[in-house]
Amino acid sequence: MKGMARQKVHGGKLLCVKIEYEKSIDKIQILGDFFVYPEESLWAIEDGLIGVSINTGADEIARIVEDIAKAQNAEMIGITPAAIAQTILMAVTR
Amino acid sequence: MKWRVIGLETNTAYMNMGIDEAIAHSVRTGAEPATMRFYKWKPSAVSIGRFQSLGDEVNVERCRELGIDYVRRITGGGAVYHDSNGEITYSVIAKEAGMPSGIHDSYRLICGWVINGLAALGIESSFAPINDIVVGNRKISGNAQTRRDGILLQHGTVLYDLDVERMFGVLRISKEKISDKLIKSVEERVTCVRDYSGVSQDGLYEALLGGFTDGKDFYMGNLSKEELGQAFSFSKGTYGTDAWNFSR
Repeated sequence: MKGMARQKVHGGKLLCVKIEYEKSIDKIQILGDFFVYPEESLWAIEDGLIGVSINTGADEIARIVEDIAKAQNAEMIGITPAAIAQTILMAVTR
Repeated sequence: MKWRVIGLETNTAYMNMGIDEAIAHSVRTGAEPATMRFYKWKPSAVSIGRFQSLGDEVNVERCRELGIDYVRRITGGGAVYHDSNGEITYSVIAKEAGMPSGIHDSYRLICGWVINGLAALGIESSFAPINDIVVGNRKISGNAQTRRDGILLQHGTVLYDLDVERMFGVLRISKEKISDKLIKSVEERVTCVRDYSGVSQDGLYEALLGGFTDGKDFYMGNLSKEELGQAFSFSKGTYGTDAWNFSR
């Protein structure tokens, strides 16, 4: 199945998630007008989310994103791990 | 810190992005000092942020019909329409060590140079975090920054004139984008120098030049031969390719 969700992060930037999934995430793109430094960290976050069950809760997805971001020394401006998690679940629901 | 200033010039979208990257290389190696440059885009072009989808943000068919180029930037941020005659873009490229370490602080500093330039024209503007400059609540300048291998690169645009129909004919703006702005339409969100001043575009450039260089040790310079060669190569090999521009 395919899903897409978009939201303006409170006090931040536009965040869009495009996702392909069955029981877990097969493919994901995190898109928008936000900033991530270094930019390549976002690809690591996308890669790290592949295989995550779609029944995973928002807190757990946010933790996975945060752990990858920390490992990459990434700084996010205009989005947060929690907002990414929330948008993923919105995309799955829709 | 010594600055090289490259005066207002006009290039294609691909070359403009290639030049920024070439300068970043030469500043990193120490071949050239910190550099600021001012430029325009010909043909007119849309640039999109590093993490945006070209198809989602830009009406590509319309661009092709109108002869408007499109290019993906290496910086994050949003889609911008760069009209050949309607705006001036700047880039600031310096070693991170010579700039504020915090992203927000460095945005504030460089946007302050734009604000000073506009003030010289009698236009009162202010920094609107994360990366905008506004007059009242209307955006007159958008800015985007990246940091890579010890180099800070920030580019931004100052709207001189506004062709709303053309701008929003090529940009696709989602309703979520303006959902928190308390405005009915994107047209209400933007403004331009011509709304407040009868200054010519050259006059705007002079004002920005003054705002950027005030109090700095600088000289007016040009791209080196090496930078020009690299810029051509980035322009052809990266920024002018579908592989790069449609990568998301």
